[in-house]
Amino acid sequence: MNGGRRVVITGCGVVSSLGNTPEELYSRLAAGESAVRIMTEWGTRQAAAPVDLPESEIRSIPRAKRRFMGRVAILSALAGRKAAESAGLSEEEIHSDRTGCVVGSTIGSTTEMESSFRTLLVGAGVAEMSPMAFFKCASHTTAFNTASLLDIAGAVYSPSAACASGLQAAGIGMAMISSGIQDVVLCGGADEVSPLVSGCFELMEAHASTEGQPPDRIARPFERGRNGLVCGEGAGILVLEEYEHARARGARILAEVYSYSSCRCPGSVSQSDSSSILRCMRDVYRQVDFTPAETDYISAHATSTRQGDKAEADALRAVFGDSVPVSSLKGHLGHTLAASGTLEIIAVLEMMKHGTLIPTRNLEEVDPECGGLDHVREPRPCRIRRVLKNCFAFGGINSAMLFGDVNE
Amino acid sequence: MTREEIVEAVNTAFEEMEIPREELTPEKEFFKDLGLDSLDMVDLMISLQRKFGVQLRQNEEIKKVRTLNDIYDFFVKLDAQRNAGDGSAK
Repeated sequence: MNGGRRVVITGCGVVSSLGNTPEELYSRLAAGESAVRIMTEWGTRQAAAPVDLPESEIRSIPRAKRRFMGRVAILSALAGRKAAESAGLSEEEIHSDRTGCVVGSTIGSTTEMESSFRTLLVGAGVAEMSPMAFFKCASHTTAFNTASLLDIAGAVYSPSAACASGLQAAGIGMAMISSGIQDVVLCGGADEVSPLVSGCFELMEAHASTEGQPPDRIARPFERGRNGLVCGEGAGILVLEEYEHARARGARILAEVYSYSSCRCPGSVSQSDSSSILRCMRDVYRQVDFTPAETDYISAHATSTRQGDKAEADALRAVFGDSVPVSSLKGHLGHTLAASGTLEIIAVLEMMKHGTLIPTRNLEEVDPECGGLDHVREPRPCRIRRVLKNCFAFGGINSAMLFGDVNE
Repeated sequence: MTREEIVEAVNTAFEEMEIPREELTPEKEFFKDLGLDSLDMVDLMISLQRKFGVQLRQNEEIKKVRTLNDIYDFFVKLDAQRNAGDGSAK
């Protein structure tokens, strides 16, 4: 449809607050679970949705590789390994220079940054800083560590675009395959939770209040009483592959990626803008031969901020009206930032398999500002063939991707 | 500190780098036998600095050690110097 080679999804790997397999993630989403809780271990009243990662799984990464990884890179590397296994890639295919890796996070490991700065500024100083600190804190820590664990030999890129990082990674992977640069690309995003990141959103008055509500109720996309987002952590990695390459090796094809677009939001770098969101969504449809009304599901970005949800709703209404069901998973998972795009795509792949749309959690009363859409508020049977995934990031970065059934 | 206490503290530092206790025999060399590299050695030195309360970065003697026994001997000597109070421990 876009003139280049066709791109399909042949595997996926997820590490999330609601499960470390796609099946478990779907099962717990379908059960309406929320991973949001008060982070008592931080010694504050901050809420977040952390991943429960057993030490045994962390230690499954050899020490020689793990010593370079902070938490965000561990999440990413584990998800990358799961994705490669899920795609059934042979050792030869994984290590081929035709196999690349595009993974991003908002920044490097915030936990390691805090530890390093404590040592540097309050502790014994640089003499007691580990040389591993750089590798754990570097912006491209998820990309090179995921590639390192799998011994990737192809191209490695690391988009650092906050909440759009994972979807941008998928878009870059798609372009690399479509243009013939690579045949297989592991792509996605990861982020970890920390008091620093949650605190930054609090300072911007973009974080949900934990007062007066149980923590699992405070992330409420599109809801009338919403007052901010909750940070979540996790990693979602997709294996994108050239269509003929996948068929030739008998790969299981999960979906086809039809189109991708990204554009900048003019004006403020901290506020969403419905006109540029509209432009981004229209561009993904420009590249395909079906109309917005022929889409079966919109996986919204909607993080539960007052301004962001409204801006997205305004744009969705202009393109779709109430003709296409829409929901957001941020009420279940929190906002997993860089991971959100690909992690939520993995959840949607499971929805496609089960033929059921997961509703927006905590959507008790749709805000009139977010009305005029077909909000999914209960599990809904649906033959899901074509999906729109949105991600919008601080810095004014919009991204959107269309994917779905393979066009035979 | 006794030599046994010093050996225990050094071995604990190596165990913290996930090297099993049974591999920590005195003649083992860090790079050749225990599979450590130069980055690991920096982390190890930081750990030993904390355990023994010393600064090692400017210490020329520590850069010559190659085996576990060399490190044991180094800290035994360092401890003796500290106890003698000649100030050369740092």
